[in-house]
Amino acid sequence: MNPAPDREAFYWLYLTAVCAVLPAVAQLPLWLVAAFSLSLGWRFASDHRGWRRPGRALRTLLLIAIVIAVYRQYGSVLGREPGVALLVGLLGLKFLEIRTLRDYLLSVFLFYLVLLGAYLQEQALWLGAWTLLTVSISLVAMIHVVQPRGLATRAKLKHAALLVAKALPLMLVAYLLFPRIQGTLWGLPADAHAGLTGLSEIMRPGSINSLSESTAPAFRVTFEGAMPPLRDLYWRSLVLTKTDGHSWSRPRAFAAADESFEGLGEPVRYTVTLESSNKPWMPVLDLPAEIPPEGRARNGYTLEFRMAMHERQTYTLNSYPRYRTPPLEPEERAANLQLPEETSPRVRALAERWRHESTEPLAVARAALAHFRQENFVYTLKPPLLGADPVDEFLFDTRRGFCEHYTAAFVTLMRAAGVPARIVNGYQGGEVNAAGNYLIVRQSDAHAWAEIWVPGDGWVRVDPTNAVAPERIEIGSDALRRLAERGVVPGSLAPAAVLKAIELSGLDRVFLHTRLYWDLANLSWYRWVVGYSKQRQERFLTGLGFGEISWEKLLTALGVGGLAILLAYLVWQWRPRPERDPVQAQYLRFCRKLARTGLVRAAHEGPLDFARRASGTRADLAPTIGDITRLYLKLRYGPGELSGERQVLKRAVAAFRV
Amino acid sequence: MATTVAPVEVTLGRRQLYMLPTRYGLLFALVATVLLLASINYGNGLGYALTFLLVAIAVVSMLHTHRNLHRLRVAPGACVPVFAGETAQFELVLTNNADTPRFGVVIEQNGAEVARADIAARATAAVMLGQRVTRRGWQTLPAFRLATHFPLGLLYSWSRPVHIDHRCLVYPAPAAPLPFRTTPTETLRPEQGQRLGGDDFIGVREYQPGDSPRHIDWKAFARTGMLTTKQFGGGYQALVWLDWDALPEFDTEARLSVLARWVLEGEAAGAHYGLRLPGIVIAPDHGEAHEHVCLKALALFELRP
Repeated sequence: MNPAPDREAFYWLYLTAVCAVLPAVAQLPLWLVAAFSLSLGWRFASDHRGWRRPGRALRTLLLIAIVIAVYRQYGSVLGREPGVALLVGLLGLKFLEIRTLRDYLLSVFLFYLVLLGAYLQEQALWLGAWTLLTVSISLVAMIHVVQPRGLATRAKLKHAALLVAKALPLMLVAYLLFPRIQGTLWGLPADAHAGLTGLSEIMRPGSINSLSESTAPAFRVTFEGAMPPLRDLYWRSLVLTKTDGHSWSRPRAFAAADESFEGLGEPVRYTVTLESSNKPWMPVLDLPAEIPPEGRARNGYTLEFRMAMHERQTYTLNSYPRYRTPPLEPEERAANLQLPEETSPRVRALAERWRHESTEPLAVARAALAHFRQENFVYTLKPPLLGADPVDEFLFDTRRGFCEHYTAAFVTLMRAAGVPARIVNGYQGGEVNAAGNYLIVRQSDAHAWAEIWVPGDGWVRVDPTNAVAPERIEIGSDALRRLAERGVVPGSLAPAAVLKAIELSGLDRVFLHTRLYWDLANLSWYRWVVGYSKQRQERFLTGLGFGEISWEKLLTALGVGGLAILLAYLVWQWRPRPERDPVQAQYLRFCRKLARTGLVRAAHEGPLDFARRASGTRADLAPTIGDITRLYLKLRYGPGELSGERQVLKRAVAAFRV
Repeated sequence: MATTVAPVEVTLGRRQLYMLPTRYGLLFALVATVLLLASINYGNGLGYALTFLLVAIAVVSMLHTHRNLHRLRVAPGACVPVFAGETAQFELVLTNNADTPRFGVVIEQNGAEVARADIAARATAAVMLGQRVTRRGWQTLPAFRLATHFPLGLLYSWSRPVHIDHRCLVYPAPAAPLPFRTTPTETLRPEQGQRLGGDDFIGVREYQPGDSPRHIDWKAFARTGMLTTKQFGGGYQALVWLDWDALPEFDTEARLSVLARWVLEGEAAGAHYGLRLPGIVIAPDHGEAHEHVCLKALALFELRP
C-alpha cells in the first residue's frame, strides 16, 4: 500500500472531519470548535504554504492544555459530553502529526466515534442521512489512500456509494435482529438527558400563555380500531382541584389509586408515542381502563410514569369514552367544592342566582354556558392580563380569554353554586395524518376543561370553551389559528362560513401535505431507530412469526440472514459469465461485418479457410482480410503477444469496411 | 529479437486465493467494537445503525477485494534476451475478463512488491518483472504472488505462488575485449590488424533485411525512395571464423564469454563471421538474426535444452 497519504488524501480527510464534527458542534464549547478548526488550518498551511508544524514538545503541551481546558469546562474528562469534547480536541491535534498511513486511517476511524457522540445528544432523521454521507466520504478517503492513482474522483465516489448500497441490506438484518438489551452495560452519566418543556402543573389563568403558540408535537396516537371523532378526543394529563383564586393545582396527597369507574359501551384501544417532556404525565383518553406497566395512577383518573421522562415513550391501553363513576367520598366532595374566602361577591351572587333557578347540577351548568354564549364573551389566544381577582375580572370586565379562563371561571361558578367541579388539563383533538393513519397532537392542542359531579352519573365532562368557540373543539387549534390570522373573531361566524374561512389555499394544502408526510417520516424514524427497544423488537419479530424470542434465536437468525445476503452477493459475483475473449470478440465482429455482404463463415470453416474463400470472392478486400486474420491467429493461438497488438487488431476491425 | 516460450497461462480461481485482515482492518474492528458497546450501553438506535453499517461495509469490501483478483488471467508476454549480469525484463500480460475494472493488483516476490497494475474492464495490462540473471541459458521467471488491498485497505488478499512457464534467454556475459585469434587450420584468413570490413567504399547494392542502418545510403533514399546499402571492402573479404579451438587456455565459460565478445565486435564491424563450437558450426553471415543465432548457440552450449 501507499506508505504516506498525499495532498488529495488530506482533502478527503478534512471533508470527513467536517462532516463528522458538524452534528456535534452544537454540544461543543466554542473554544474547542475554534481549536479544532485552527488545527486543520495549520495542517493545511503547513502542506501548502510550508508553515512549520509543531514539534513533539509543543504537541504535548497542546495536548495537556486541551485536557485541562476540557476538565475546566465540564469538571471531568469522563462521561459523554467531556468525552466527545476531548475526542474532537485530540483528533484536531492529531491532524498536526499525521504522517503515515496508520495515523491517517486511525483518524478516519475515530471520526466515527465523534458521530456517535452526536447521536447521544440527538437522533433526528436528518442525522441518519448525514451519517450515510459522512461514511461514504470516509470511504472515499480510504479508497484514495489505498489507490491514490488510477481512479477518477467520480469513480472513487461511485465505488464508495456502491459499498454503502451493498452494505445496507446486511446492516438492516443486523440492525433488526441484533438482540437488544434492557438497561445499560455501565451507568449512564448524569448528563445523558437534556431539558425540554411541556404542560405546567399549576394553572394560572391570566398570567401568561406559552403553550398555545408551539406547534411542536406533544404525542402521536395510533388507534387499533376506528378513530373516534375529533370532538370526543379529550386527552387528560392532570386534574386540578386546589385553588387560591389565582392558581389551580393538584391535591398534595398522593390520592386515590383505588378510584374506579364503570365503563359503558366498547373501549377504544390505542398506542401513544409521547415526546420527551421532562414530566411524568401520561396523556390518556377519557377514561383509562387500565394502567400500563410503566405507569401508575394519580388523582382523577390520570396516569403518570414512575419518573420524569427524558426520552420518547410508547404505551398502549384501553379507554372507555363513556363511563359512570361511583359516588363521591365526603372529603373528596369537600375538596371539589373548595373556594377561597376572598371569592368576589359578584361571582357568588351570579352562582346563587342560577342555584335558585335549579338545584339540578346539569341545569346549573347549562345556565353558566348560556351565560358565556349570550353575554359578550370572546375567545382569543391573546387575552389581556388579569390582576388581583382573575375570575371576577374575566367574568365581568375583560370577557376575553381562552380555555383556561373559561374553565377556571366555570369551575369557580359551579363550586359557588354547590356543584362539585374540577379542572382537567390535557390536550384536545389533534391533527389526523392520513398518510400514516395516525393522530398528531401538538403542544398547541393543550386544553383545559371542567368536570362536574352529577348524582347518578358521577363525573361529567363540560367544556365551557365550547360554548364560546365551538370551532375550537370541532376544527382544532390549527384551524383556529388560521382564523385568527385572517382576522376572524371566533364565535362570530356561521358554521358554514367558518369552514370556508379556514379552507386552505392550494399552496397551503401542499405545505400541509408535505408537513404530514414529513411527520410520518419522523414518526417511523422514531419507531424504528430511536424507539427500537427490546420490547419493540420482540413485538416486531413476534409479528413476523418468530414465536418466543431469545437471544440465541436472534443471533442464529442474524447469522442465517447475513449469510444468505452474502451468499446472494457471491452467487452474483461468481456467476458463470461467457468467457468472452476480447481477441475473439474482435474477430467475431469482423465476421459479422463480412456476413453483411453474404460471406458467412461456416461452422466447420477455420479462420484461414474462411479468409481464403473471402479473399477469393472479394479480391478488393483481400489484403485487409489477410492482415486481420493473421493478427487474430497470432494473438489467439500464437505464442505470447506484444502489448499493444490487441489495440492494433481492434483498430483494424473497426476500420474494416465492406 | 523477441524470444517467446510456451504460453502456459494461469487463471486465479477461488481455491488459489486467500484473505486476511490487515492491521488497519483490525483497528477498524476495534473501533466498531467500541461503537457497539457504546450503542448497547446508551440503547442508541443510530449508534447501532452506524456500527452495523460499518461492519457490513467491511464485509462487502471483502467481496470486492476478492473480486479484484478472482478470475484474473496471467499469461507470459515477451522477454528480450539479455546478457548474464543484466536484468531480464519478463513481461506478464494480465487479462481482466470481468465487467469491472481491477485496481491495485500487486505482484509480489519474496514478500516485496515488484510491480503494480490497474486493469480496465475487459482489457489487458502488461507489467514488467525485472529479474537479475547471472547465468547463461534459459532462465525461468521465479514464482510470484498476486495480491491486493483494494478497495479499503482493511483486507489483504493474495494468491498461491504462481508458476508460469516464462523463460528468458540469457547470453554469456561478454568478456573484456581481446584481439581476434584464428586457428592454424584456417584457410581463408583475413589480414591481422586489418579493420574488418575496411574503410573503402566499393559500391552499393539493394538493401537486405539485417543490413546495419549505418550503411544505408540515406541520401539516395531521400532522392529515390529506394533503400540501398553502401558496401565497404578495401580489397579484403571481411570474413572471420570465431573458433572455440583458438582459445585453449580458457575454461568453458570464459571461452564462451570471449566468443560472445567477438560476436558483438564482428557484428559491430559489419563483418561476415562464422562460429565454430565443438559439434556446432554456424556458417559465416552477418546481421541481427545471425548475431542472435550465434549468441544463442553460445548461451545454450552444453546445456540440456
